[in-house]
Amino acid sequence: MFDRDIWQEIFNTLKKNKLRAFLTGFSVGWAIFILVLLLGLVNGMQNGFTNQFNDDATNTIFIRPGATSKAYAGFEKGRRIQLDNDDIEYIKRSFPSDIEYLSARYFSNTVGRYKSETGSYPVQAVHPEFQAIEKLIITKGRFFNEADHTNKSKVAVIGKKVAEDLFKDEEPVGNFAEFNGLPFRIIGVFIDEGDDNAERRIYAPVSTYQRIYGNTDNINAIALTYNPSYNLTEALEFSGRLEDIMKRRHKVAPEDQAGIRIWNYAEAFNDISNFTNGLGMMSVFVGFLILFAGIVGIGNIMVVSIKERTKEIGVRKALGAKPKQIVNLVLLESIFITTLSGFIGLLFAWIILAAIGPNIETQAFSNPSVEVSTILTATIILIVAGVLAGLLPAIKAANVKPIVALSDK
Amino acid sequence: MIEINDLHKSYKMGSNSLHVLKGINFKAEAGELVAIMGSSGSGKSTLLNILGMLDGANSGEYTLDGVPIKDLSETKAAQYRNKFLGFVFQSFNLINYKSALENVALPLYYQGVPRKERQEKALKYLERVGLKEWATHLPSELSGGQKQRVAIARAMAAEPKVLLADEPTGALDSTTSYEVMDLIQKINDDGNTILVVTHEEDIAHMCKRIVHLKDGVIVEDKKVKQVRAEQYV
Repeated sequence: MFDRDIWQEIFNTLKKNKLRAFLTGFSVGWAIFILVLLLGLVNGMQNGFTNQFNDDATNTIFIRPGATSKAYAGFEKGRRIQLDNDDIEYIKRSFPSDIEYLSARYFSNTVGRYKSETGSYPVQAVHPEFQAIEKLIITKGRFFNEADHTNKSKVAVIGKKVAEDLFKDEEPVGNFAEFNGLPFRIIGVFIDEGDDNAERRIYAPVSTYQRIYGNTDNINAIALTYNPSYNLTEALEFSGRLEDIMKRRHKVAPEDQAGIRIWNYAEAFNDISNFTNGLGMMSVFVGFLILFAGIVGIGNIMVVSIKERTKEIGVRKALGAKPKQIVNLVLLESIFITTLSGFIGLLFAWIILAAIGPNIETQAFSNPSVEVSTILTATIILIVAGVLAGLLPAIKAANVKPIVALSDK
Repeated sequence: MIEINDLHKSYKMGSNSLHVLKGINFKAEAGELVAIMGSSGSGKSTLLNILGMLDGANSGEYTLDGVPIKDLSETKAAQYRNKFLGFVFQSFNLINYKSALENVALPLYYQGVPRKERQEKALKYLERVGLKEWATHLPSELSGGQKQRVAIARAMAAEPKVLLADEPTGALDSTTSYEVMDLIQKINDDGNTILVVTHEEDIAHMCKRIVHLKDGVIVEDKKVKQVRAEQYV
């Protein structure tokens, strides 16, 4: 393989047929160029999706009640399921080691007023732990704590947009705003990366809101995060147990998907991973089809090259070249052309991705790039491709009959 | 050195079969210089191909330096060719992108001789054919006679038991032909066994023995008084 004579011969053949070598190499280089570019783009898409998910905790599960779609345990179908504070306690007691943070969600709307400014905003009444679940970033003041919750304090944390609307240039933290006519003390302002609409929201303790709205225990939904050390299987297994226990508690048929809905981020994340993986596979498939055309091209050229060199191969055999040595010569030449041109294609694709990649930063697309593993895979593919392209011509060459090759007629 | 008994060879030409060699019996001792003569179609090239292990016989025995040559695999045949035989062709068959030195070194490469030793040896043989100064030249820069001398050096470099020359002077003018024959005679003087296929009488008489082939059989096999080529050079 590292024989000077073999390489000398390969370079000589290439030198004598520069245009032919270039055109052949081009097809393979082009194929690898497209393959790597496609993979880089899919990678960018994957990065984009991952970024989208990153601003919320990816170990989140939401529980939402609905109306049953099946009759079960003596109840008719179409029954509305209502969650309340007991459900929170029940979950907390049932899964002490699985749950990281747990919060109720109580949805409402309010007309907020400060001095002469008013506006209508959605309110989410939640537990203090909700800050960690939603990954809210407090820029001023603080989020409400257990004491606020227990005391049912009339405090609120408002989004940056709400603060801009109502308070203009004034400092919101410490001031009182009226929500539906009741004064709430603003204790913090939050921002939510990647979601402007969320910044039009107001958070208040769930206990406070439940008291204001007629001393109810009802809640609209439950949000929780599970133990972050769980892998996907463990996460799915846990959300399965959670679903079972909630359905049993509310007498919902186990197969009824409408009565209680458990929405698991892990599952959605998994779906999207599957989707991008699918795209990746597809681009590999398309890339391979193009590469295959390149391989056939190289094989074709090698056959022609062997035909031209029949006499030379005959002489070599007469001088004692073994069939294996002839095969090696042809194979190495084919591998050399494929690998070299493939690497040039790879290099071009890499340069393009490196040049434009960091400049592309949109919601679903970010930093398309090639990984080392892609390059390693491409190398292996190229060598295999070279062998495939050279194999038939090489066998043909090894079978050259010296007498036929040497006959002067 | 060479022993052939009742050798037959026929080629299939469509539905017909062409019987080319019809029972050849031939023996050559070490150090002989034999001319094989015959008109085209007499079977002399076929005989040389079989002797050169480039082609197989249908029946009969062929022994080379005590080794029976029969049913060889491609790899084995390549090994034997490399070890036992040197070839000289009418059209030289040098590899055109290799220098004279590299051409001579090629059989040594297939013997697995290390590069350095290979080049020293090749240079020694080029010197013997008087072309040491042309070592780095490509075949396209050499005259016909020089090319054939390089080819002879290449055939000798592997130090074969037998040198097979197929019309070695066929593509050369008479002066150059005699130069080449002079070289062949000198190699023979050193004790090498050489078989020369030719259809030229004067070339044949520069050998020590002439075998006449006609229609696939040996019709005449005589020792001759060797005409030295030196006097014409």
